Amino acid sequence: MANPPTDKVKKRVDWLFWFGVAIVATVSFLAVFGAAIAPYDPTLATVRVSVPPPALSEWPGLIWQNLTGQLEQPPHWFGTDAIGFDLFSRVISAPRIDLTIALAANGLSLVLGIFLGLLAGYFRNFMTETLMRVSDVLQSFPVFISAMILVSLAGRSTENIVIALAMLYTPIYIRLTRAEVMSQRVRGYVEAARALGNPELVVALRHVLPNSLAPALIQSSVTIGFAILLTAGLSFVGAGVRPPAPEWGLMISSGANQIVLGEWWPSVFPGIAISLTVFGFAVLGNALERRYDS
Amino acid sequence: MLTRYVIRRIAVGFVQLFFLIVVVFFLIRLLPADPVSRFVGLNPSVEAYALAERNLGLDRPVMVQLGHYLGLLPSEGKGLLQGHLGTSWVTGSLVATEISRALPVTLELLTLAFFSALLISVPVGMIAALRPGGWADKGVFVYSLFAGSQPEFWWALLFVHLFFFTLGVAPAPLGILSPLTTAPPVVTGFVTVDSLLAGRPEVFLEALHHFMLPVATMVFILSGPIIKMVRQNMVRALSSDFVLYARCAGLSRRRVALYALRAAMAPSITIIGILYGFMLGGAVLIESVFSLGGLGQYAIRSILAFDYPAIQGVILVITAISLLVYLALDLIHAFIDPRVTF
Repeated sequence: MANPPTDKVKKRVDWLFWFGVAIVATVSFLAVFGAAIAPYDPTLATVRVSVPPPALSEWPGLIWQNLTGQLEQPPHWFGTDAIGFDLFSRVISAPRIDLTIALAANGLSLVLGIFLGLLAGYFRNFMTETLMRVSDVLQSFPVFISAMILVSLAGRSTENIVIALAMLYTPIYIRLTRAEVMSQRVRGYVEAARALGNPELVVALRHVLPNSLAPALIQSSVTIGFAILLTAGLSFVGAGVRPPAPEWGLMISSGANQIVLGEWWPSVFPGIAISLTVFGFAVLGNALERRYDS
Repeated sequence: MLTRYVIRRIAVGFVQLFFLIVVVFFLIRLLPADPVSRFVGLNPSVEAYALAERNLGLDRPVMVQLGHYLGLLPSEGKGLLQGHLGTSWVTGSLVATEISRALPVTLELLTLAFFSALLISVPVGMIAALRPGGWADKGVFVYSLFAGSQPEFWWALLFVHLFFFTLGVAPAPLGILSPLTTAPPVVTGFVTVDSLLAGRPEVFLEALHHFMLPVATMVFILSGPIIKMVRQNMVRALSSDFVLYARCAGLSRRRVALYALRAAMAPSITIIGILYGFMLGGAVLIESVFSLGGLGQYAIRSILAFDYPAIQGVILVITAISLLVYLALDLIHAFIDPRVTF
């Protein structure tokens, strides 16, 4: 302990930050174009069932033959599952469902949470105190089980998953924004804005709000990652999107029986996709948080 | 002072629980699910539908249903106030009985997992904190970010593939005991404890063997946030004045690190408690991969079958335990950190 222990984490996050950016960019790209560049229709089974993926050593040759058009049909890069779906096509088409649900749920809870958090932090009265107690109750629900209840009882549709997740994530944003607003509202610029004769609502919206957004926005990256995990988990237990939608959790679930018997590929590839995606969002969120703090 | 604090916390806890129960009660009835048609089958006659609705008690006004559930209507039978969680619509047996069978499994899994996770994470977090910015710290930082953001059900499947299918060192993911083993007589409900009480060490070892992979999966997931937190608190403790003083006084590095660890553990306790409460509901996916038959799996079954009394029971029990764990940890916190008083 020659030097006093200081947190030197800032320097080391740079390559991690770009790693996160690269993953988020790739997943976003696939969310838009994944289904279009997929070699097979992700929801149409082929006649070839449970084909294992080609060995890694064959990949360069296959890529060359595929590009030069020597193959009758595109290879099954990740193999096919027990039904005959091409796993590669499904894995790269899945972000459209997973990321859309995560982004929509996050967006909804972000807007709602920031708005309510602003009200709760700026106007401290009976109404907003009640709001905080309600959000306490919401936050004390076990997250996964509550999401399951909401989605199963409301009907297993994409919209319901989005609403359920948004409901569970809103309290986080209310809390973050409220705390920030409470620290901003006592500052000099707020008093100045008020002294100039601005009505309270204008002060809150025009001056306090823009200065209180950062914590919630930074949290977004982490929340999106967890929303992807939760979406996948829900379909894994049969309470999420319906098959044969190309969705990572659903794919892992349908491969779960085979993996015990040795057919690893139907579950492994979508799992790698989730693993990297959520890690990417976590890394990005962490890097942003550190930049903001410094 | 302490007794008053505990009593107040428990009283507040009851109020919180009450609100939670009421919210859950109305929430599941507001959602557009139709449990009656689930139980009555396809194409029921109007009479059959009405009869099923009556049997489930769903034909009565909602407030009457709530009163009955809470036990405020003595004419309708027992309710929560009388310690009665209701009867499962699917199995017809008491929800309390079913939960008391499932809960020990989950608690056993969580306790084993938390114990192992702490055993691994505390030293790792300490090593990372001793040289902030060093190679160990960098590696640990990336690991904890990674482990904290993983799909646990997928890792559970990978472990099954690797350790059961490929290496054959783990049992099949089919519960806590193999179907050929007779379970020890139920005393506490914890298989590991019961088998020892019954004097059957081989059953104890078998249960541990079956817990191996689910615990490993959970340790992996938990180690991320725990290591991160231990490291953070440890760095803070190591840069505080009392550590500087201890070093000036010429104490050995090991001694100083142990002092700092004690200071670092106090704030960590709270987060561990929150994690424990979170995992009560978060163990769902791991339990279902290994068919452990715990509370999480009971929750899945009840939710997918629209079994309202069971759903309410599960939420009630999970929240009640989380509240108790928070209380217990706050008391432990006061014990470790003498500055905390009530």
